[in-house]
Amino acid sequence: MNVTSLIQNNYEEAIAMILFGIGFSNLLLQQNLIKKIIGLNIMDTAMYLFLALKGYISGRKAPIVVNGVQKVTAYINPIPAGLVLTGIVVSVSVTALMLSLTIRLYRRYHTLNLDEITTQLEKEGL
Amino acid sequence: MNMWIFLPVLLPAVAGITLLAASFRGHLAGKADGESTQARRTLHTFTAAVLVLTAVLALLAAWSGEHEVTLFYLMEDIPVYFHIDAVGRLFVTVVSIVWLCVGFYSFTYMEHEGEEKRFFGFFLLVYAVLIALDFSGNLVTMYLFYELMTLCSMPLVLHNGSREAIMAALKYLFYSMCGAYLGLFGIFCLYHYCDTLAFTAGGTLNNAAASGHTGLLLVAVFAMLIGFGAKAGMFPLHAWLPAAHPVAPSPASAALSGIIVKSGVLAVIRVVFYIAGPDLIRGTWVQTVWMTLTLITIFMGSLLAFREPVFKKRLAYSTVSQVSYILFGLSVLQPEAMGGALLHVVFHAFIKCALFLTAGVFIFKYGKTRVEELDGIGKRLPKTLWCYTFASLALIGIPPTSGFISKWHLAEGALAAPVGIFRYLGPVVLLISALLTAGYLLPVTVRGFLPGRDWQTEHRAETIPEKEPVGMLVPLLVLAALAVLLGLFPNPVISYVTDLAATLL
Amino acid sequence: MAFVQNFPFFCIILTLFSGPLSSILSGKAARRLNLMVITLVGAMNTAVLAFVLKNGTYYVYKMGHFPAPWGNEIRVGVLEAVMAVFFCLIMLLSMLGGMREREQEIEESKQNLYYIMVNLLLSSLLALVYTNDLFTAYVFVEINTISACGLIMIKQNGRTIVAATRYMIMSLLGSGMLLLGICFLYGITGQLLMSNIQESVSKIHLSGVYDTPLIVALGLMSVGLAVKSALFPFHGWLPDAYGYSTVSSAAILSSLVSKGYIFLLLKIFYRVVGFGIVRESKVIHVLFVFGILGMIIGSVDAIRANSIRRMIAYSSVAQIGYIYMGFGLGTTAGVLASVFHIISHAAAKSLLFVSASGITDASGDSTDFFDLTGAGYRNKVAGVAFTAGALSMVGFPMFSGFISKIMFAQAAVGHAHKMLPTLIALAISTILNTVYFLKTVIRIYTPARREEAKEKQYQTITMRQQPAKAAALICFIILNLILGLFSQPIVNWLEQGLRMFA
Repeated sequence: MNVTSLIQNNYEEAIAMILFGIGFSNLLLQQNLIKKIIGLNIMDTAMYLFLALKGYISGRKAPIVVNGVQKVTAYINPIPAGLVLTGIVVSVSVTALMLSLTIRLYRRYHTLNLDEITTQLEKEGL
Repeated sequence: MNMWIFLPVLLPAVAGITLLAASFRGHLAGKADGESTQARRTLHTFTAAVLVLTAVLALLAAWSGEHEVTLFYLMEDIPVYFHIDAVGRLFVTVVSIVWLCVGFYSFTYMEHEGEEKRFFGFFLLVYAVLIALDFSGNLVTMYLFYELMTLCSMPLVLHNGSREAIMAALKYLFYSMCGAYLGLFGIFCLYHYCDTLAFTAGGTLNNAAASGHTGLLLVAVFAMLIGFGAKAGMFPLHAWLPAAHPVAPSPASAALSGIIVKSGVLAVIRVVFYIAGPDLIRGTWVQTVWMTLTLITIFMGSLLAFREPVFKKRLAYSTVSQVSYILFGLSVLQPEAMGGALLHVVFHAFIKCALFLTAGVFIFKYGKTRVEELDGIGKRLPKTLWCYTFASLALIGIPPTSGFISKWHLAEGALAAPVGIFRYLGPVVLLISALLTAGYLLPVTVRGFLPGRDWQTEHRAETIPEKEPVGMLVPLLVLAALAVLLGLFPNPVISYVTDLAATLL
Repeated sequence: MAFVQNFPFFCIILTLFSGPLSSILSGKAARRLNLMVITLVGAMNTAVLAFVLKNGTYYVYKMGHFPAPWGNEIRVGVLEAVMAVFFCLIMLLSMLGGMREREQEIEESKQNLYYIMVNLLLSSLLALVYTNDLFTAYVFVEINTISACGLIMIKQNGRTIVAATRYMIMSLLGSGMLLLGICFLYGITGQLLMSNIQESVSKIHLSGVYDTPLIVALGLMSVGLAVKSALFPFHGWLPDAYGYSTVSSAAILSSLVSKGYIFLLLKIFYRVVGFGIVRESKVIHVLFVFGILGMIIGSVDAIRANSIRRMIAYSSVAQIGYIYMGFGLGTTAGVLASVFHIISHAAAKSLLFVSASGITDASGDSTDFFDLTGAGYRNKVAGVAFTAGALSMVGFPMFSGFISKIMFAQAAVGHAHKMLPTLIALAISTILNTVYFLKTVIRIYTPARREEAKEKQYQTITMRQQPAKAAALICFIILNLILGLFSQPIVNWLEQGLRMFA
């Protein structure tokens, strides 16, 4: 199996990984705090995409009981969906915390750039 | 079980801690220094009783045959293990004699230093640790008590609490600990290649495991030599000695110089002859470097002592040089030289102790610390200066004093050993250093007894003999007598160390 | 089922709920509640430890009685119980030791918030220790991160907020990687319970189909947790976070939070992936190299640090390097040494942080080395405690640090390739440790010039003025001594625990 076919067969996963990379490098490298947070959210979303993909089995339905319980093979795996939900909750709280920190910093230093904040800190000499 | 051999460790330790607790409580209560005569007398009686009892117990434990006890396990295969053997016996005897003399001397001397409870507390504590160190039966136990010794002896150095004293004590701590860590590194390395870390004459190296790792083992042994050599004042880690001695109270310097530096020697003996085995380093670069370092130290120490105007500092440099005699004797790995080294351990302990105690008398009576102030001192304190003179002669090695015997054996051993150029270099350096020793010790005697006509006319009042404090004179006399008499009747000691050296090499 | 077996679950729930409860209490009441909860939880964990020791085997506790692949599980062995007890003990002492600082440095209205964070933190730590479910572990990792961030920023100044932000960013990167690793594993195995994952992983490993994803997952999780526990070179956030937060926070962060992550990593190694596979992979070599680099560079940074708090913080980097080096050896002995070092470092480092605060108190709240001159005389207990902690860190016999160094050395000796680097790194790092710790000890015991002391108006602090801190310090010293002198039973427990762990 060569790389092209590998990607063709798993293009959703590939996209998830690319998104993860984008988010990760934004979170790591951006100096602007808001952009960092956006990076964080992209990273998390990529993860949910990946998890959701792991749970999806093509041709099957969501495990919602409509016309009585059918065979197990009729439904997709519901656990990843649960995991994604949990992940979203975690991600929301983390984002909220980061945003509150950002607001704090902005009020104090009037900038969102982490480098500039560090320079100002050194000037303060705390 | 031979648990009773712990008594000489336990007794002074408990007594020392009691004294420290009492001293601490006194501080909390805000009592001023300078206790009443009555309280001082009680303290001295107590300390003296503990000292004598401990010495008796220690000697009893040491000379009543081989004992071994495992106290508890620090880790699964690392017991805290005590084993009394020939080397330990020798060291314990020396320690006990010196400690008794110094202890009795301190009863008078420490009056002017104050804080006697604290001093004697730590003094007894160090005694306990030293006995434990000499009785240690394996490397880790020894290391444990080695570090403890550093820690407990530090307060003796910083006794007067002045800035210099504290800096000197911390310097001492720093050098000792750095040295000890080098030693620890060696222990880590050796641990795997030895059958056991328990001391066994001839070494415990497992040849099967060690083959192919000689390079590593040599590095480990070398690190341990340098590390434990720090305590023995071996170049390059010798600088703490001249810093620590002048600021410590004289009894403490005597103990430091006579005994504590010898623990470095003990550790080196244990490592080389009881763990690694002399065969490992014979003829390797380690032996060459070791001999070179000791010779450098001998020469450098004497030279620095020669140029040093502060009396106690001069004696400290002299210790640096003299202890390296011992290390040189060990480093040539030859039975006779080894015997000489062990003899020098004993003799140097007594001699150097006596010298420092004389320095203490000068400080106690007149507060004189520099050599040029000691002119004419023999007119006022003739007995003390005579003790000094005999001890000096012994240290220089003039027959028939003890120093001559040990140096003779050292030189003989070096000449007989197959160590290349060091065969001749060693004795030559010893000789030059002996000359320098004469050069830095004897002027004090000469100027002390014969200060010259001009001085006598100037200081007429200072030429009358004064009362010499008996409490300080007696220990001094004992030590000086030992220094001389051991030279006149050396046979028991010589036969003891010769047997010992023969089992090790 | 014995009643004791419920205790781990009770502990987690109790601490979790005491968090929100604190929010409606006043600061004082919250503090009392917090101390009570920690003590109670510590007692319960001790009971659990006694129970497991008596039984001689681990047990699995099913949450809500759902059987294996569906339900959530708690798994308790000796190692987990020992860790939980130690975490509680050290947290209790750290809280006691930093009580006065907290009251000074945290605004009156926010006092109770601090205790919410501490309770949540303890809950998440206990959950990390006990859980047998990988995704639960992830969730509690995040709770841990958030509450730790709260602990850093509760003292309000620019430094702490920036430190908290940096900490959050690094932690989020770490947890991102951890989550990705977990997702990979889930993708391969379809399981979330650790024991089930391990079954599938060993099958998959035998078949050799998914080797690459397996290693990638392992690498992602290791690196993620390494970032979170401040392994070199991911330690940039650490000195600020430990150096400027209030003292309890610094003590807890350095001795517990990072250790929680390390423990989770250990769990992943042993129980999720299987130590055999971990040993074969290259991941441990990476950990080994960075561990050793961390040991040395952390110590060098500590020597160059200009304040006592930052010095201790950098020393944490070095000590965490030790732990990863032990993992990196890839032998049971190495892991055992690391686990012991987790405990011993926790005891020594929190002691150092608390005593350093005592020392700075007596020096006009300055952390600059120059101002600390003679502080050991002005605050005697703190001086002695700092010396004890320093001796423990430099590996003085009779203190815990000595035992862990011996264990590392024993583990390293005889290792084919890693013996020399380990021993040399140990020696260098020990000497560097000695340099900066003894330098500080020397500094605090150098008598200050009298005029200077008067001019700066240093105050002398006695034991009676700060009884809580003095008591905590004394307990810490005793703890260090116990770990140093009577380590064998503890090492035996840890060994037994590690055997049960796999």
